[in-house]
Amino acid sequence: MKKILSILSSLAVAVTMNAQGAHDFKINEVHVHSSECCDSSSCSQAGYVDEYGQPASWIEIENTSYSTHDIRNCYLSINPAVLDENMPAPEREKLMSAIPAGDPRTSIGAKQRITFFADGNTNRGTLHLNFQLPVGKPFTIYLFDGNAVDLLDSVRVEVLPAGSSYSRLGGGEWQVCEADKVTPNAPNVAYYNDKIKEFKEKDPHGIAMTLMCMGVVFSCLILLFVFFHIFGWAMNRAAKLARVRAIRAIHEQAERVVEMAKQGTTETKGIDMETYAAVIGLALHEYFGGTHDLESGILTINQKQTTWADKSHELRVLPQHHQAN
Amino acid sequence: MMLLESVSTMDFIGTKLADFLTYTGFANVEWANIIMIAVGAFFIWLAIKKDFEPLLLIPIGLGIILGNIPFKAAGLEIGLYEDNSVLNIFYQGVRLGWYPPLVFLGIGAMTDFGALIANPKLMLIGAAAQFGIFGAYMIALAMGFEPNQAAGIAIIGGADGPTAIFLSSKLSPNLMGAIAVCAYSYMALVPVIQPGVMKLLTTKAQRQIKMKPARAVSQTEKMLFPVVGLLITTFIVPSGLPLLGMLFFGNLLKESTKTTRLAKTAGSALNDIVVMLLGLTVGCSTQASEFLTLATVKIFALGAFAFIIATASGVIFVHIMNIFLPKGQKINPLIGNAGVSAVPMAARISQNEGLKADPHNFLLMHAMGPNVAGVIGSAVAAGVLLGFLS
Repeated sequence: MKKILSILSSLAVAVTMNAQGAHDFKINEVHVHSSECCDSSSCSQAGYVDEYGQPASWIEIENTSYSTHDIRNCYLSINPAVLDENMPAPEREKLMSAIPAGDPRTSIGAKQRITFFADGNTNRGTLHLNFQLPVGKPFTIYLFDGNAVDLLDSVRVEVLPAGSSYSRLGGGEWQVCEADKVTPNAPNVAYYNDKIKEFKEKDPHGIAMTLMCMGVVFSCLILLFVFFHIFGWAMNRAAKLARVRAIRAIHEQAERVVEMAKQGTTETKGIDMETYAAVIGLALHEYFGGTHDLESGILTINQKQTTWADKSHELRVLPQHHQAN
Repeated sequence: MMLLESVSTMDFIGTKLADFLTYTGFANVEWANIIMIAVGAFFIWLAIKKDFEPLLLIPIGLGIILGNIPFKAAGLEIGLYEDNSVLNIFYQGVRLGWYPPLVFLGIGAMTDFGALIANPKLMLIGAAAQFGIFGAYMIALAMGFEPNQAAGIAIIGGADGPTAIFLSSKLSPNLMGAIAVCAYSYMALVPVIQPGVMKLLTTKAQRQIKMKPARAVSQTEKMLFPVVGLLITTFIVPSGLPLLGMLFFGNLLKESTKTTRLAKTAGSALNDIVVMLLGLTVGCSTQASEFLTLATVKIFALGAFAFIIATASGVIFVHIMNIFLPKGQKINPLIGNAGVSAVPMAARISQNEGLKADPHNFLLMHAMGPNVAGVIGSAVAAGVLLGFLS
């Protein structure tokens, strides 16, 4: 049973881990290539070309996690029919472009990106999709997990100005980037929201940082203080109650035994002989030794004047009568 | 014919010897290397002769010497910064920040949080002393450092070597060598820096305050502390997870009473191995060209400020607490310095200063409370800085 449970839990962990990896893929930037783009002056910036030197539309996907994940076997599509929940996965796969396995380029490092060319030429390699992005009309891009069922991400792209791209910002919002801010295979320009720069500009003396950090440090330790203050009090109280209860039980037993002893009866009244003897012994011990309640743990030594070390004890009485003689 | 052969052999030997000489340290030495080797030797002297943190200063001192042995860059894979060299492999633990959490595992396995649990209000002193970090942060900004560099330098005020290495490796890796050496140097110099500040901020009567003995702490409380501590601190500051997670993990190994063997290993053999490698590689990373700069001088000055501010803020915070505490429950302000987390040196300073004021006043166990709270506080502070600036 234990083995089955451990296997099941391992499987659950493995499945969750896979899912976590895939869900970290986000569509990051989209560029629609058109002939207008190459005619414009911005062609040099926006004209990201494939391995064959051909400019094409592209979709950039980012691994937003801090660990490496492989995007192989995931699917990309712009066909809204893939959203039909009743469509079986094999049918849906036919409407999408699969990202092939076996190419090391599909393994994306932490916070890294991969760019796929939407040129409809899958024979050109792993990075080429089986569809083209429509020019001059809006569309939606869908990114599906390897099972062709789970939608990982999607983005609606309106008609873009020539040479521009549609980029995801840090907060999950999207914006149209002009040709000089198009960044295929690189972090989006809007992403350069540098924390250090922000602190340098808005908190040049470090006062805000100090207040925030000290606040957090104090919060953590105050919470710990409150918890252990209350818990310590409760533990003390519980220990005290337990001791008082034990002492009370001893007293009750002792009283019963003393009562029986006074009556001079040999009957044990429901108490077996061994317990009877033990309780008598304990009762006598408590009676003569004094029952100890709670100890403070403080040892107090009160100085008391005694004559035990008095020099006079060391002297013998002088034999005065001898002197008299 | 024989003569010609012997002449060419001699030429060959001469050429090779001359070539060999270009590889020696003598041919490549610079004044900066000599200075750094002298610094390394000074650290070893301090450790052996003055008994200043020998477990740290000996590996660091020898590391400084090792890292400053001059050699010709010929791709021999021997230098710390050369890929695949043995030292470079050891250095990955510093560069990628996995030595400090292992050291924290050892610290957790060796630390008894009993004093802190018995008197939880002492945790607040550990929090107050972290002001040393942020005081130094403000000064570092004023001196022209970037916020990430300032944070890396300021963490020296936490008086926690592994935390300083962890944070600086993430935020300001180019200053890490100087920050680490500075942090450990000042930790060794705690007995020199702190007593003066403590005396300055306390009267004799305050130094003679006797504190109530701490209550006995049950094993249940000790077992619960690492779990609750981990949950509270890491839920608030997840960026401190590597340090806090390992600290509390080590402590749970110790207090669970079921994993004594693991706790023993974590606190002894494993910790010793990591400390050796950490000290050696940190020392090695202080190559003269990187270390002998104006920035290093500034870092050392800031480190001293950070320690002084941390000590002062701990002591002053105890004064503030005493205003609100009833008579008979006052805290001796001499334990305020222990909030800086240099375990257990800072607590020992409290004890020594307490004994100087009153030979019957033993503050060690009381000072251990803020001392271990300081470890948690500095790890939390590092996590917050990392969260804000990385």
